[in-house]
Order: sequence, then structure tokens, then C-alpha cells
Amino acid sequence: MAQNINPHYASSSNPAKQNEDTIKLKDNHAVSKRLQKELMELMRCADKGISAFPESENLFKWIGTINGPLDTVYAGHKYKLSLEFPNSYPYAPPVVKFLTPCFHPNVDTCGLICLDILKDKWTALYDVRTVLLSIQSLLAEPNTHSPLNQQASYLWPNQPAYKKYLDEFYSKHRD
Amino acid sequence: MANKSDELKMYWNKINYAYPILNDTLFTDCSDAEYEEIQQIIVGLGVQIKIRDLILIHTEKYLRQHVAPSFWSKFLKTDEEVKGFQLFKSAVNDLYEAMSSFSPMITRLGILNNSCCDNKPIYGERDVMSGFKQLLRATLLSQLPLDFQVIINHFYKVSFNVFDNAEYDNSDMGEDVMCSGCWNEYSDCNCAYIVKVFHDTNRKLVELTLLERLTGQVLTNFIQQRIELHIQKLCTGTFDVSHIGFLENWLDTTVMSWLTRIYCAGASKPHKVDKDIQNAVSKFKQKLSYYLYHIYTKLRIDQLFNIIIVYPDSQPAVDDIKLCLDKTDLRATLCKKLQNALETRLLHPGVNTPDILTAYISAIRALRHLDPSGVILETVTKPVRNYLRNREDTVRSVVSSLTEEGAGSELAEELAKFAAETDEDLEKEEDWDNWVPDPKDADPKVNGNDRKANDIISMLVNVYGSKELFVNEYRTLLADRLLAQSVINTEKEIRYLELLKLRFGESQLHFCEVMLKDVSDSKRINSLIQQDKNFESLNNKFASNAMILSAQFWPPFKDESLELPEEIKQHFEAYTKSYEALKGNRTLSWKPHLGNVNIEIEIGDKKLDLTVSPFNATLIMHFQTKPEWTLEELHQIMKVPITILRRKITYWQSLGIISERSTDNFALVEGSDGNKSSCSTNQVQEMICEDEESESVMASAHDQREGELQVFWSYIVGMLTNLDSLPLERIHQMLKMFASQAPGTECSLQELRQFLDTKVRTHQLVLQAGMYKLPKT
Repeated sequence: MAQNINPHYASSSNPAKQNEDTIKLKDNHAVSKRLQKELMELMRCADKGISAFPESENLFKWIGTINGPLDTVYAGHKYKLSLEFPNSYPYAPPVVKFLTPCFHPNVDTCGLICLDILKDKWTALYDVRTVLLSIQSLLAEPNTHSPLNQQASYLWPNQPAYKKYLDEFYSKHRD
Repeated sequence: MANKSDELKMYWNKINYAYPILNDTLFTDCSDAEYEEIQQIIVGLGVQIKIRDLILIHTEKYLRQHVAPSFWSKFLKTDEEVKGFQLFKSAVNDLYEAMSSFSPMITRLGILNNSCCDNKPIYGERDVMSGFKQLLRATLLSQLPLDFQVIINHFYKVSFNVFDNAEYDNSDMGEDVMCSGCWNEYSDCNCAYIVKVFHDTNRKLVELTLLERLTGQVLTNFIQQRIELHIQKLCTGTFDVSHIGFLENWLDTTVMSWLTRIYCAGASKPHKVDKDIQNAVSKFKQKLSYYLYHIYTKLRIDQLFNIIIVYPDSQPAVDDIKLCLDKTDLRATLCKKLQNALETRLLHPGVNTPDILTAYISAIRALRHLDPSGVILETVTKPVRNYLRNREDTVRSVVSSLTEEGAGSELAEELAKFAAETDEDLEKEEDWDNWVPDPKDADPKVNGNDRKANDIISMLVNVYGSKELFVNEYRTLLADRLLAQSVINTEKEIRYLELLKLRFGESQLHFCEVMLKDVSDSKRINSLIQQDKNFESLNNKFASNAMILSAQFWPPFKDESLELPEEIKQHFEAYTKSYEALKGNRTLSWKPHLGNVNIEIEIGDKKLDLTVSPFNATLIMHFQTKPEWTLEELHQIMKVPITILRRKITYWQSLGIISERSTDNFALVEGSDGNKSSCSTNQVQEMICEDEESESVMASAHDQREGELQVFWSYIVGMLTNLDSLPLERIHQMLKMFASQAPGTECSLQELRQFLDTKVRTHQLVLQAGMYKLPKT
């Protein structure tokens, strides 16, 4: 538990405010450095089907892109996501949301995702790449036991019907 | 009563007699004794002040109405110099005479004034005479005509000609019929008369204290004109003599003594007592010598480009400029003008890079001499450096002239010199006694020592900002040279490498060292492999000689595919095996398109001995098995693009061995029928073939740069995948922000635009309304 919480956040009652500011600044720099490194890694490996890049000059806000995994109902679809990194990253998980509406048992209508590694299972060892890969595989293997989207969850066992509905949904909502 | 008024009338007549000016005339017979009496009368009546003031008013009027107009009426606008001379002379004479006729009256007025006892200054002056002069000046100048300077100018011009002539040209008098002083024939040379009149006039002007007022401006203009003319006459076209000494001398002897004579009415030296004249002359001299330096420097600055081009010979001229720059305020002008000259004369596409480099090198030398602090050099050559940076062959030219032997390779000498000098440099730095601050236009960000320490080679290397690029280009050049020669003179190369190492450091040139070692190692390994029994038994059809290069250390090669014939491949494999046996865990990867092949062709009764590229050898070998090929078939078997095949096959066509039967269908020419057709095409195509052979096999610096830019490509793809479309500026900005840790990340906006444009051309990008996008898949 202790490992997952930024120590500076835990001790926010620290009276030396000035001191805290400088620590925060320094920390911010460390986070930037880590994100920069992740970006470089991501650009170097260039995994098929996933990609991400800072939205603007702000290194803490990225846009990601996931291609639907092949041989699934999501094949040929392309989903945009937003990734926001907290100042305590990588001790806290990034906030990941679908920007392209996604019909999926574990994604709600606002694009929020129910994925354990983005919540309580998060560790500092994960990075942007693994997060995107996990979401990509979540598309193929939804967890129908704790659905956010009941309709999708009911429809999931019937794959042909699911695909028909999904394709319609996708072509209606993309862009 | 009547008596009284008669008496007064008589007094009045007497006063009029003493002061005829009251009736607007000047002439009177009044003697000093008579005046005594009149003075008594005036004092007796107690009207001295009234009378004095009356006289002054009348004098004023008289000067205004008679003297000044008659003086100025002589100032006609004329083009004839001699006439102008005469007019001015007579004007001054008349004025002088008029003034002389005033003088008895002025004396009397002086006495009268003394009796006034009111201490009132007369026209601002204490004594009557100077007050009168003051009045005269004021009156004259108040009526100044517009072009009064014309004849004054004529006057001084004529006299200066005479004077200049007398000082200078005594020696060659015999040759001219005309006297160059007064432009008359010698028989009736006017010089003596002119000189006399001149001095006379000047004396009168001085006496009237009108000299400076009337002629100062004209005189200055005139002398400046003369100085300019003289400098131009003296200094055009020659840079190998220092002129400043002559000029100073000329100014001192001719101009200044002439001027002194003007001020001192003919005497060549001013009276020691007369401080005013001394002051005036020395002030004039200061003004003129500044002007002299100014004009001379300006002239030299205009010629500076030419001076630089011929630099070591033009050192005296550079010395002159150096001296004059301290005395004038022309540094900024110099920088600007020279920069302009360089830009218009050097930095355009019509000039060869080696020529620009030569000019740049002499500029470095000349300007360094001119300004040891190096500030001018830095400012002026900035555009040159920027321009050279854009030329593709700059590095190549520099490197090749560095390693060139024989005449014209100044850089090679410079390199050798550097090797000798390195030790002395250290001692120089200790010389704090002679420290001089940087000039005021120096860039404070740059350390003055750095500026001074830069020698020519590092200036050239700094064109690029990094040694690496430079060393890389040297490596490419070296690789080309090593591969092009069949017999390699490594000794010479090693010598240069040692010299370069002194300059650039061991680590930078480590690669080149390995390359040279590869060459000598190859020789050894070759001979070992040739002795290998296994290799010998496998292959005895032809001899081969491999150059074994350590891939890590050589510059990247241009990639070209070429499938060799089966026999050759077998031979290579055998060689590889033999090498592997010899070298343990190493192997060979062949570059089939490099190297030379000695072949012997027997066709009909023709026999040819040739050294050709592997490509051409392969091509002709295929014709050994089958006499007729289409390009498509050749493409299949050789794995070479058809366009290249078509280009290369012209070599054999030009030799008359292969001919094109129909489009893209080639056949061997048998026997004699080919001879005719080949001869005609021979000459034309020879040119083409030669061109190809001399191409470099190395990837150029440009290509390498392209490779570095590829690093950005993945970033750009990532950007555009997620952010859809972006304008050029945004991409550039994002790259600067996020991709700056990757190697070779200095990338200008323009470079990026070019790079993206090539991507658009190959359909990897789409440019729509200024936004770059990935194409839809």
C-alpha cells in the first residue's frame, strides 16, 4: 500500500509550505522525465495497434489510439482515448477515458473504463504501453461479471448479434 | 541771434569738412592741425556724443549703400577660372582701397570718441577701428549673394595649382609645353604673377579680418576636394604599398604650407607672436588630417574585398586601414560594406565552393591581421559561414584541400604548421601584461580568448559547428579513396591522419585508423587465404583479392543489390569458409557491387582486356551463357532495377560488344558486323560511362542526415495517429519538446519541411490546407 502512494501526498500536513513547493516542483520534473522516457520507448517500439502522444505542450495529457484486436468483433475499429497523468504518477494510475464512444461491457456511456489495473491493482511498474495493451485485450475479453454497460453484457454471449449492434454503434458514433 | 546761428552754421560746415561722410563723400583735405581746432569746437559745444553717433549712422548708411554693393557686384557667376581669379582680386582690391580712404576719418573719430567719456562700445568693440571692421563685416555679410563661392573657389583653385606645381613637378618640367600651374605656355607663364597677386589679396583679407569669414568654407571644401582627388589618383589599384606616410607628408608639405601662406600673407611660417594665426592653422590642420584619414579609409574600405583576395601581397594596405581605423570612426561602415561586398561578389550560385573557401581563408587571414581581437572577422564573415553551411560540397572541399598535396593547398600547409605550433600556444596565454579589452562591438557572449585562438582550420570546421560532421566527411572521403585505388599508398594517408589527429583528437579519428589498418590487414589475410590448401583445391579458375572492412568502422555504403553469377558466388563462399577457418568466430558479408574485375573478352577475332565494375562484369558474363537477353530477364537474374540496367548496359554498347536489337532486347554482337555500328556510338557514350564510374560508393553526409531524420519519423507518425492533423510549425514544436533526447535532433523548420515533403511525395503523408495528415489505410 505504502508503495502506491506518493509520500509527499501522504504528508501534506507538513508545515513547511515553501519546502513542499520545491519538492513538488522537483517531483514534477521527475514525472516529466519518466513520461518523456515512456514516450521515447513507445516511439521506438512502435507496437502494432496502439499508439499515444502528448496532446499539446503539456506532457501530462496524452491522446491514445487503439485499434480493435484482430479476430474479434472489434477488428477494424479504431478508438481514441485520453490519458491524464496525476502529479503523483507513476505512484498513482493515469485517468484513462474513451474519447470515441465504445460499446463494451466494461465501458460506460461517458467512456469511463472499469479495469482493475487502473484502480486498485495499479503499480508503478505499469506504463502507458502496458495500459494501452491491457485496454486492447480488455476489448477482446470483457469481464461480464461486473459490467458497467448491462446491455452489452447481456448481448456479449451472442457474438453475431453483438457484432451487428457494435458495427452500427461504431459507424454511428465515430467522429 | 543771427550771429549765433551763423556761428553754428560755420561750426557745422567745419564739422562737415572734417567728416565728409556726413555728406556721403569720403574726400577731404582736412589736416591734423585743422582737426585739432574742430575737435576743440565740438568739445566746446559739448556735442561730441551726438556728433559721433551721427557719424556712425552715416558711415553705416554709406557702407550699406555704396561699399558693399560695389564689392558684391564683382562676384559674377563665371565658369572661367582665370576670370574668377581676376574678379576676386579686383573686388578685394577695391574694398581695400575704399577702406583705406576711410582710415583718416576713422583716426579722427577715434580722437572724438576718446573725448566722449561715455565708454559706450562701438559695435561691440572697444576701439573705433575694430568696431569699424566689425561694421564692415556685418554689412558685407548681410548682403551676401547666393553664389559668391564660385569665384572664391576659382581664385584658390588657380593659386593652388600654381603652388602644388611648384612643390611637386619640378623634375618633369621639360616635357610639357604647358605650364601645369597656370595652363599657359611656358613662354608666358603667369605663375609668378599669380603667386604675387594671391599673397597680396590674402594679406588684404587678413587685414580686413575677412579671410576666415569669406573664404573659410570655400577653402575647406576646396581642400577636401583636392585631398579626395589626390588620394584617388594615388591609391587606385595598388595595394602593395603603404600610402598613409606619403599622404601625411603631402598634407604637411603641400597643403599645410599653402594654407600657412594664405594666413600669413606669403610667409611660409607664421610669426611666433601671432597666436591667433597659429591657432587657426593648427585647427585647420586637425580638421584636414582627420578628413584625410577618413577619405583614405573610405576608399580602402571600398576596395577591401579586392585587398582581401590578394591578401598576403596587400598587407601594406591592410596595415594602413588598421592605422586609420583607430583615428576614424569607420569600423561599423567597414563591417557593413565588406559584408555587402562579400554577399554580392561571393555568395551566389555562380561561384565554386573552393573559390568561396579560398576567399574565406584570405578573409580570415587579412581580417585577423587587421583586428587581432577577431571581432570584425566574426561579424563580417557570418553570412559567409551561413552560406557555406548550405552548400553541400563544403565539407568535401575543405577536407580534400586539407589532404591535397602540391600547390594551392594552403590548408595542407596550415595543418602541418599547426602541428609545429601547438607547444608555443601554451606560453602565449600567460601574457597578461599586454592584455587589451575587447572592442566595443564585440559580442559579450563569446569569450575573447576563444575568438583569438581560432585558427583557420577551426574557423572552417566551425562553419558546421561540430567536428563530428567534419570528421565523418573525411572518413567518407578516405573510404572512397581507399576503395578506388587498387594499389594503396597507405603511408601518405597515415601521415595525414596523424596530422589530423593532432587537431581533432585521437578519439574522433579512431575509426579512420581502423580503416587504414583494415587495408593492410586485408593484404595479409588475402595472402594467407591464397595459400590455404582447401581454398586452392576448391577454386582455381581465377584469382581474387578481397578487401576486408570492419563494418562497424566504415561509413555506411550506398545499398545496391546485385545478384552475382553462380560460379562467382561459389568462389566467394569458398573464400568465406577459408576466412572463417582462419579467423575463428568471424565471417564475411560480401558487398558484391564494390570492387574491380579484370576481365578478358574473346569475341570473334576480337580480344579485349578490361577492368570494369562487378556490375558490368556480371552483365557480360550472363551473355556468355545466352547471346540474347531482354531487360526483364536480366532484371530477374541480377535483381537489379531495370532503369539501372538500361543505364549500365550502355557501357557495353559503347564498346560495340552488345547491341540493342529491339526495345529492351539486347544481343551480343558477333564478329565484324558490329564494328561499324559501334564506332559511331562509341564517342558519345564514353562520356556517360566515365561519369558513372567516378561516383562515390559511400552514402554522403546528406544521405546520413536523411537517416538521422528518420528518427523523427516515428514521432511524427505517433503524433499524427493520435492528433489527426497538424501544421508544420506544431510538428516542429512538438518534436523540439518531445524528441530532443534522440540523437541528431537539431532540425530546422526548413529541413523538417523538406523532409515532410519527401514523405508527401512517397505518399506516406498527406498535406491538406497546410495540415499534415497520415493517409487513410
